[in-house]
Amino acid sequence: MKNSLQVKDSGAWVLRHSVNARICHWITVFSFVYLLLSGIMIFLQFPELYWGKVGFQGYPAFFRLSDWGLSWEEADALGNRRWGRNYHYLFAWVFIFNGIIYLAWNLWQKKFYRKMLPTREELTGRNLKQDLINHLRFRSEKGQATRHYNVLQKISYLIVLFVLFPFMFVSGLAQMPAFTAISPELIDLFGGRQTARTLHVLCTVLLVLFVVVHVIEVFIAGIVNQMRSMITGKYLSKTEAGEGENE
Amino acid sequence: MKKVKTLSRRKFMTRAGAVSGFLLAGCDTDIYMPPKVRGGVMGVADVLTMASQRLLLSGQQLVQEHDVSEVTKNFPVWNQSNPDDEEYQRLRRSNYQDWRLPVSGLVNSPVSLSLEDLKRLPRRTQVTSHICEQGWSAIAQWTGTPLLRVLEAAGGVTADARYIVMHAYGGWYEGYDMFDAVHPQTILAYGMNGKELPLGNGAPVRLRVERHCGYKQLKFLKSVQVVSSMEEFGRGTGGLNSDFDFHWYAGA
Repeated sequence: MKNSLQVKDSGAWVLRHSVNARICHWITVFSFVYLLLSGIMIFLQFPELYWGKVGFQGYPAFFRLSDWGLSWEEADALGNRRWGRNYHYLFAWVFIFNGIIYLAWNLWQKKFYRKMLPTREELTGRNLKQDLINHLRFRSEKGQATRHYNVLQKISYLIVLFVLFPFMFVSGLAQMPAFTAISPELIDLFGGRQTARTLHVLCTVLLVLFVVVHVIEVFIAGIVNQMRSMITGKYLSKTEAGEGENE
Repeated sequence: MKKVKTLSRRKFMTRAGAVSGFLLAGCDTDIYMPPKVRGGVMGVADVLTMASQRLLLSGQQLVQEHDVSEVTKNFPVWNQSNPDDEEYQRLRRSNYQDWRLPVSGLVNSPVSLSLEDLKRLPRRTQVTSHICEQGWSAIAQWTGTPLLRVLEAAGGVTADARYIVMHAYGGWYEGYDMFDAVHPQTILAYGMNGKELPLGNGAPVRLRVERHCGYKQLKFLKSVQVVSSMEEFGRGTGGLNSDFDFHWYAGA
């Protein structure tokens, strides 16, 4: 009892996430779940992937769900592209507007760059290596270090936000028939509509992997504290012995 | 305080209305909306998807045409491949000699076109991608009469014409707006890859309405009807696919 009080005494409440970051985060979670589920529903009714401009049943495939134990008929029965397509586009719009609001809110704020961009010192080989070792040993940060993102965390967030999310958007557009008139160049850039579709699915796999690691990290770092900070913004930063309170 | 807030909100709404009114001034709002907007958020998403794409398509750009060498061998036969319809089977047995395409409704002089009549009208040949909403795509060369020429052959449409309804053997029907009807690549195709249109692909004539998914590419055409509203057809959503809860606009 006494011990736990002490811990609290030696910690400090810090504002970890702005209200905008928190709202946008949970809208992202919600729409990502729906996009993923509806995407799976669409995919199940045509569970094959191809490279190039054309692809259909019987055409040489890069991936076939039937090779992995689920026959075409079984997959078809599980899928529902009517529901899938409707919800996929609905939440694509939610996702896009949420992203625009997030960027418009943050891109002109200095603290956003301070929070998200790795510093020169963080990008040194030694620090990267140390950070990687910490992650691989499931060791969470302590003390002052918990108040900001670590370098691998920053890099992965930047990749998700500015590489994978835009890629999902663009590879989605490249699959749409209207874009054969709006911008055939975009489809050609991918090397064809089927390649865009395949990469859309592969990028989804990367995003799901990110979410899995992200959730595991939340547990490692302390689920209560992390969740509280993403809901209320407040984060309890525990001070390590020897660290001063004054920043 | 509360009063000020209400006022400013009203002011904002008025301005928003004025801005969107300005944006749409001179344009036909029809091209941004399906015949019947679904209720709730799904309807909002539908209109956003359709309006944003139509805005980007407003130049009526042509879709990409491929080289003949890229034509897909074994183009898939999907969905209805041979209508279970007595009249259709009779026409098929006589090699579509007696097939007629009535063009009726809000046209100045309704006609009924035979296959030969269609072939005598100006033709267009295009090698395009067929993109099925399910996920597959294939390339074929289509030859046919632009829908616009067919409407001209019927004396043109009247002032209150808004939709073209295509009926097909087997019970399918689908509505198209004028934006798609006037596109140069919207053709009634009777030829595929240099030959007569095969049975499985919609013989004797099918619609090619590029810029849309496969489910708008109606096969086995039976008649063309020009109307001012889609309300009296099916559930009034504008087509059989949208009657079954697919988006009427299939550009995405």
